Amino acid sequence: MKFARLCVVVATLLLSSVALSSAGYAQEKTAVKQGFELAPNSGKRILVLRPAVSVGAQSTGGLFEPNAEWTRQAKINIQTSLEALQAKLGNTVVVAPEVEGEDARNLQEHISLFASVADAVIEFQFFVGNRLPTKKRDNKDGVFDWSLGPSVASLPGAQDADYALFIYNRDEYGSTGRKLLQAVALLGAGISVSSGVHKGYAGLVDLRTGDLLWLNADGAMGGDVREAEGSQKRVRQLLEEFPGSSIAKD
Amino acid sequence: MARVAPLLLSVVLVGVTLRTAVAAPAPLPPPFIGAYQPQGVDEIGMWENADQSERLLAVSPLLVRDEKLTAYVRGVLCSAVGSDRCSSVRLYIIRDPNFNASMAPNGTMRVYTGLLLRMNNESELASVLGHEFGHFELRHGLGKFKSQRTTTDILAWGAVLAGIAANNGVSTNYSSIEYSVYGDFFRYSRSLEREADLLSLGYLNSGSLRPQAAANVWINLMGEAEASARMRGVKKPNFNAVAFFASHPPEAERAVYLADYADPGASLRDDGKERYREALATWLPTFLDDQIKVNDFGATEYVLDQLAVDGWTAVLLNARGDLYRRRGHPRDLVNAAEFYGEAAALDPTLAAAHRGLGLSLIKTGRASEGQVALKKYLTLNPDAQDSKMIRLMLPKEN
Repeated sequence: MKFARLCVVVATLLLSSVALSSAGYAQEKTAVKQGFELAPNSGKRILVLRPAVSVGAQSTGGLFEPNAEWTRQAKINIQTSLEALQAKLGNTVVVAPEVEGEDARNLQEHISLFASVADAVIEFQFFVGNRLPTKKRDNKDGVFDWSLGPSVASLPGAQDADYALFIYNRDEYGSTGRKLLQAVALLGAGISVSSGVHKGYAGLVDLRTGDLLWLNADGAMGGDVREAEGSQKRVRQLLEEFPGSSIAKD
Repeated sequence: MARVAPLLLSVVLVGVTLRTAVAAPAPLPPPFIGAYQPQGVDEIGMWENADQSERLLAVSPLLVRDEKLTAYVRGVLCSAVGSDRCSSVRLYIIRDPNFNASMAPNGTMRVYTGLLLRMNNESELASVLGHEFGHFELRHGLGKFKSQRTTTDILAWGAVLAGIAANNGVSTNYSSIEYSVYGDFFRYSRSLEREADLLSLGYLNSGSLRPQAAANVWINLMGEAEASARMRGVKKPNFNAVAFFASHPPEAERAVYLADYADPGASLRDDGKERYREALATWLPTFLDDQIKVNDFGATEYVLDQLAVDGWTAVLLNARGDLYRRRGHPRDLVNAAEFYGEAAALDPTLAAAHRGLGLSLIKTGRASEGQVALKKYLTLNPDAQDSKMIRLMLPKEN
């Protein structure tokens, strides 16, 4: 069985050696859909979906080592920080209801769709590397035109809100071995080794049209999500430049 | 010549030791330690990951949400591994035409519909599910993760150190280290598969199904791969080669040792073939349709031949017609029309066969006969999704 596994294993092994030389998207970028403005206290309601959070370590060879305790801690911390920052978002926050069955399937489909769209924005429009010529042109013209489609209106809780806020966060803390490898590589190996991955993005979606109104992606965030204080800094960075908010750039 | 002789001798010796090592039936499985909880950072982390992925799986659109079928497949697993082991499994059927099944460290079993389509009876299915359960019981996921981590750790250090001491000799040494650690990793992975195979046959020997069926799975898989290669006119695969990077033992080797592991005293047991066919009957057309869409003519025809070993049914003939019509050479359409015709003759109420027959006949220049068949299709299935399109192909009624 698991023939597909072979390919996965080979790909992982290859990827981890690639990770030796590439630093990923170690930049940050924010974009707002042309013409979209959200004034503070405009009475708009924002539906906050449960953030996707995973935290672990990075082995010497670059593999992700999931850590259940860190993830658990980070989920609590990020949720707490989100609640604390809600007042600063400048508009009313609606917490997404717990759902079952068909609704849960629908919600997960849209969370996955958002992740694909956000990945596409990051890959093809935001950062230097693999940008599409059409998206480079869009960048020059200040165009930011992406959409999940109008089916977002069927999301549980959507009828009580104007916008939905999606959050994704992933942390891989460099292990001691990885840091040591990084230090030794600096001695002149001709390859640069990066240690740790701390990336995430947050996006605002119009619940009527499905249009992506705002996206903030950060490939190298600060703040240790395993601690209360660090996670406040992290959530601030995820939500910085949120339209109509008073969350300043760090 | 002098160099060849010892080589030949060692090959023969290896052959002998392999044969003697596997000649005995697999021992009965050890007592099961129920309700195991993960231990240590790695294992707890892996379980947490698997839990998260199970949550996503439970709401996935790929899941076959048929309680009856799921309960049946679960029942087959239970009849092999026993009810105490079985209670630690959550079984999910995934709509995917590939031959595959897997088990996550937290007890999530994933069964692909492509596997269900290819199994001939309960014994064969039980041997594959038992193999996956064996990985779970022996906690192979953890071992494999650790081995993978060690492998990449060594490779990373090797790359960095070779970079620092950059001269020709060092980089040659590095690349030989690279091959040897990759080789170690894949050899380890194959040894885990053999352990799981042994345990799987242990379950079957102690259960109520016929363990001899296990070898058949691999014989059929080889047959399918050969048929697929033959149809595409490429060299047929070598099933005896131990590929350096193979994650599983070669199929031919597996078929041989699995036959040896089976308890000879159990060879007269029931295979559950009838029960299996009956349980899958309602899903068979769907699974066949998915397989046909994979666009592997030789493999699909092999699968159909296997299913039709006791005679062609209307559903199988209809699928065969679909297979030919989808490839769509003019000669295929003639064959397709023939198969659809036979299907419609066997079961005149099978609407899909009349549809296929009509479409194939129209494309082979027999429009008036085709239109008769399409009319029959619309009579049988007036609310069909494509009824408007089909009506366009019929002459205007006056």
